[in-house]
Amino acid sequence: MRGFLKVALLSTACAVSSYSASAQTLKLGVLATLSGAGTAWGMAMQGAAELAAEDVNSKGGLEVAGKKYKVEIVAYDDHYKAADALTAFNRMVFDDSIKFVVGPLGSAPALALLPVSTENKVITMTMAFTPKALSAEYKYSFRPVIPSDVFSDPQIKWVVQKLGAKKIGGLFPNDESGQQVGAANEAAYEAVGAKFVAKEFFERERVDFVPLLTRVLAKGIDAFELNGNAPQTAGLLVKQLRELGFKGPIIRTGGDATADILKVAGKDATENVYVHQPINTESPAIQEYTKRFETKYKTPLNAFSPFFYANVQMVFAAMQKSGTVTNSDKVREALRGLKEFETVLGKVNWIGEAQWKSNQQLDAPFYVALLKGGAAQVVAKCTPKVCE
Amino acid sequence: MDYSILLAQAVLNGLVIGAMYMLMAVGFTLVFGIMRVVNFAHGEFYMLGAFTGFFTYVYWEIPFVVCLLIAALTIGILGMLVERTLIQPFRSDEMSGMIATLAISVIIQNGAVSLWGPQPRAMPDIVTGTLAIGPFSFPWSRLVVIAAAALIFTAFWLFMQRTRLGRAMRAVAQDTETALIQGIRVNYIYPLAFGMSVALAALAGALMGPVFSVSPFVGLTPMLKAFVVVILGGLGSVPGAVVGGLLLGMIESFTATIFGSLVSDILQLLLVILILLVRPAGLLGQREA
Repeated sequence: MRGFLKVALLSTACAVSSYSASAQTLKLGVLATLSGAGTAWGMAMQGAAELAAEDVNSKGGLEVAGKKYKVEIVAYDDHYKAADALTAFNRMVFDDSIKFVVGPLGSAPALALLPVSTENKVITMTMAFTPKALSAEYKYSFRPVIPSDVFSDPQIKWVVQKLGAKKIGGLFPNDESGQQVGAANEAAYEAVGAKFVAKEFFERERVDFVPLLTRVLAKGIDAFELNGNAPQTAGLLVKQLRELGFKGPIIRTGGDATADILKVAGKDATENVYVHQPINTESPAIQEYTKRFETKYKTPLNAFSPFFYANVQMVFAAMQKSGTVTNSDKVREALRGLKEFETVLGKVNWIGEAQWKSNQQLDAPFYVALLKGGAAQVVAKCTPKVCE
Repeated sequence: MDYSILLAQAVLNGLVIGAMYMLMAVGFTLVFGIMRVVNFAHGEFYMLGAFTGFFTYVYWEIPFVVCLLIAALTIGILGMLVERTLIQPFRSDEMSGMIATLAISVIIQNGAVSLWGPQPRAMPDIVTGTLAIGPFSFPWSRLVVIAAAALIFTAFWLFMQRTRLGRAMRAVAQDTETALIQGIRVNYIYPLAFGMSVALAALAGALMGPVFSVSPFVGLTPMLKAFVVVILGGLGSVPGAVVGGLLLGMIESFTATIFGSLVSDILQLLLVILILLVRPAGLLGQREA
């Protein structure tokens, strides 16, 4: 009996060791905000990485140069703070030996850790909108989401032409980002022949905008711009504008805030509101992804998630093409070489050489939608050059 | 837009905001007058009132007046419990009492975030449409706030002036020891006053819910403004809180409409500094003996 046990144990041990020899592990990092106010974005990134990993793991792993790799997600919370992001990133690079990271999320964390990721040749996929996130210097920084300095110009041009709006008004938060967005918006509108006749600033904790809106409306505006405002504030602005009797078009050029605008202002107040929409919610691929995400995470899909899902798929494809999961230089070259890559967003490419001297910005179509009956309907499809 | 319409709009908006500030400040100053406690958690009770109003109105679909009553009662009782368990132990020590209320505010706000999430929730308007008088049009949703605040304050004022309990509260506010000698049970008055104070905040929260939406962070601005109002009107003075609330609402509305938000914020705080310099006890406050 004892002999039998020995044989059994020995054979089990052999089986286990031979299994671990054939299926190796590939660690993919996620560095994002997983608690506090930015959680919706962090969840979008982590979910994208996990779903992409699930895709390859369900087929026995990612096959690279004849070997199969099981993809393992290692996620750290950056609390939306630069210092915490840097600490977590150091742990990823030096303790976990990770070479591919979904993140960082915010601009401040990105600026803090990009020198470290560059030095250690770690490929990052960032959500940071800052123009400094991509540069010739930061060779390993890729950005799958489309920042506002790419989408605002074509979108504003389309909206102004379609609506024939001449006088625009807007309220912006009184801090650096609000002032910047305000100035950029004014320039973008004036470049296409409209005039920003009323521009007001307010402290971020304000919730009653009626006096300021009364002032703006007194200038006889044709359309109102919501860019630069947090999602909830944008909703309150729409609600209070309608209460004051403003029936004209309201435009949201900034990041995705549609869900909050609808929630706060309600169905009736949101008629005649034009919003920027990063994804086409009517496309079957996006609908399928949304369903999968929402079933798994029991939370509404944030529109940024499919961009990270696409980027991770591209990294996997680049690994297969370059035949390595450790040499990030080779993977980077292969990744940059991917063209017309089929994703849930449609066919995507890399752009950005002219703007940031780094051809590592994902180029996917984006959309302008009109809110109708409490839902967003796509009315124009855009590229960085033009909306149609 | 016509200047007369601009002014009418500014008056209406000043009244709405002033009514909210008044309800907040009256409760805030009541607790200070009677208990000598600066309740830093006052804004969180406003938020809890807003959530109670939201859940009862949206999910139970009962008349809004009933929602207001439920909000005042539940939050009032919660306030009494909080006073009894967490504030009473520090009664002889004002500083520790203040820190205790600060802690309560952090606990309530974060509790609300973990329970209901940080997302704002839109509350449907109680009444829709606008009242049109000649060239002026005023949304009913805002007019209702003014009327309700006036009613609530009248009820509160009658209670304080006409009932035994109200008189007892005023007696404690004037001189605790003499009130004790007169046979007033101060240990009952304290939780009751605290409960009433936060019930007023809860009523303000539930009333403003449909106007400004509901989230765990809605209590912050009204709390800050209640501070300003109470300094303006005189710490501990109920008439001062009414005058101060309406005055601040009007100043805020007019300066923001005429000069814009930044100048408005500067002017409001300049006014507070000015009043503190000229009348340190506030407009209707009394100098401490």
